[in-house]
Amino acid sequence: MVSNPYLPKLAKIESIKDEAPETKTFKIKILDEKIRDSFNFSPGQFIELTVFGYGEAPFSITSSPMVHENFSITVRKMGNVTKGLFRLREGDFVGVRGPFGRGWPLEKMKENDVLVIAGGIGLAPLKPLIEYIILHRKMYNNVKLFYGAKTPKDIIYKDMFDEWRKYIDVELTVDFAEKDWSGHSGPVTVLFKNFQPSSDNIYSVQCGPPIMMHFVTRQLSSIGLPPEKIYFSLERNMKCGMGFCGKCMTGGRYVCKEGPVFNYSEVKNFLETPV
Amino acid sequence: MERFLTIDKGLMDNFLERVMEYYQLIAPVRTEKGVLFEYISGKEEVDLTYSGHTILPPKKFFFPPVEEMFVYEYEDSGNIRLYDLLDEVSKGKRVIVGVKPCDINGLLVLDKVFTGEYNDPYYAARRKNTLVIGLTCNRPMEYCFCAYLNTGPFIKRGFDILLSDLGDKYIVEVGSEDGWKLIKFNLDLFSEARRDDVEEREKLLMKVEEDIRSKGLPYFETIEGALREKFLDEMWDEYGKKCLACGKCNFTCPTCRCFTITDEPNPDLKSGKRVRTWDSCHFLSFTRVASGEVFRRDRPSRFKQRIYHKFVYSINEIGSISCVGCGRCVEVCPAKINIMDVIKEVTFGVKPLSAKIGED
Repeated sequence: MVSNPYLPKLAKIESIKDEAPETKTFKIKILDEKIRDSFNFSPGQFIELTVFGYGEAPFSITSSPMVHENFSITVRKMGNVTKGLFRLREGDFVGVRGPFGRGWPLEKMKENDVLVIAGGIGLAPLKPLIEYIILHRKMYNNVKLFYGAKTPKDIIYKDMFDEWRKYIDVELTVDFAEKDWSGHSGPVTVLFKNFQPSSDNIYSVQCGPPIMMHFVTRQLSSIGLPPEKIYFSLERNMKCGMGFCGKCMTGGRYVCKEGPVFNYSEVKNFLETPV
Repeated sequence: MERFLTIDKGLMDNFLERVMEYYQLIAPVRTEKGVLFEYISGKEEVDLTYSGHTILPPKKFFFPPVEEMFVYEYEDSGNIRLYDLLDEVSKGKRVIVGVKPCDINGLLVLDKVFTGEYNDPYYAARRKNTLVIGLTCNRPMEYCFCAYLNTGPFIKRGFDILLSDLGDKYIVEVGSEDGWKLIKFNLDLFSEARRDDVEEREKLLMKVEEDIRSKGLPYFETIEGALREKFLDEMWDEYGKKCLACGKCNFTCPTCRCFTITDEPNPDLKSGKRVRTWDSCHFLSFTRVASGEVFRRDRPSRFKQRIYHKFVYSINEIGSISCVGCGRCVEVCPAKINIMDVIKEVTFGVKPLSAKIGED
């Protein structure tokens, strides 16, 4: 019989963790041991998650690519599928297809500085990259994370930053500061105020709302990063993950299989402006 | 495999009857609304005399408007079970007869999309279990423009058998081993074709080609550059204003294949099915993500997506443009947008009279 790429692999929710208001991280274990063992992904790739009866939606994998026992996704309650997912409990069934797409340029970035910029839940697809870099710390030069969220409450992976700070620079900012917030305030671009790349050997990777990526890209260009070293992950309505359904097509490219990670020089050649 | 035979029109019924003993037959049927491809229960329903195109292309028999993909069901034990409906799709053998060259080429486009880098097993299974008997055109309709795309009236591949109407008989070209098998067990109905018959078909098709080529269109392979240059042209605003975003052009197109995937739970909430449904790049919801963001909000951008996918993006995607010149979108558009006018305007920079906004 032909294997059917539309048929999800059965999986169970192992644990659910609150990250921020309406935002949770779900740890998921694929039931079949063989499939689980062969489930390899590259940071920046995504899966299609089935909540039976609600449908399927794409989510970035947020766990470390080194972990095979299970994987995680961080989800904000937004649409139909996420509403269904938030009603599930530990031990409930879900379905998994993937991983799909092209992730961050791990190889190209080696021996370079890496500037990671994230907005809100946009940190999710960058977390496995940060964890990969930390595991291979010697292969990368200066690594810095600029992360912006709406309010301190909206910051995800709050308990990770202290660990990450042992290996990389982390700077946080919030749009709306509260009394007990002593850090930066303003959009993520405020973190560029005193930032100058120390060399030409620098890559930037980013994920966030389209408006953030627009201004961050402008900022990066103004400090001299060439378009081919500015990478971002695009969000689109990806139904099939294989370039069939046509929904994610942007300027002639399928975000699901050619992306979701693109560099700015690729994107500049799109007829449609995606960022 | 170039092999020509003939069959008397009076014997065609016998041939189709024999085909129906082994295969499910799909054929053009004349109805009040027009000619449609349908499953046939009796040979008398088949109409091989239609000109131009059927209302819908044969696409729906390979990529149905609603495809049930799998069923999920919670068992009493609490476990969940999936039943793959692909197994059903793979069953049964079919023959589709009376497919015009434009529509055959439409299937060849879908083949490249659905069985390229990834394999769509539902489409592939239906394609595999269906033989195609083509039918060339004797008389083009006003909306036909295949001759500018090399998708008709001549056709070289994509059929198992190809019929051409020569008045009192059909000349039959065998296009594949499977096609030959269909004929070889029924050879009593066929005669070897004479050279005259082959020449007559050639003449007939040349006449059709000539008729179609009186429309003053550019050859479509040459328009990619002009389209790239005109992506930001004002002309799209006008077409965008005129377009009703109804999606009729998508649903009648032999190569449009965009879809969405949803779950349909049963009332017991313990079982349900996953379905995929035809979708349209003209719909506002097409690019909407969960946050509510719509990436092609304004109508000109959605209008352009169909045109650019067909004539520009497709070249990179499958190596050719993906319009086959059947003219269905011209026929069905309630706003009377004519793709031939669009292409003329892109290429020659002249707004054809029929495309003036607000004047129908």
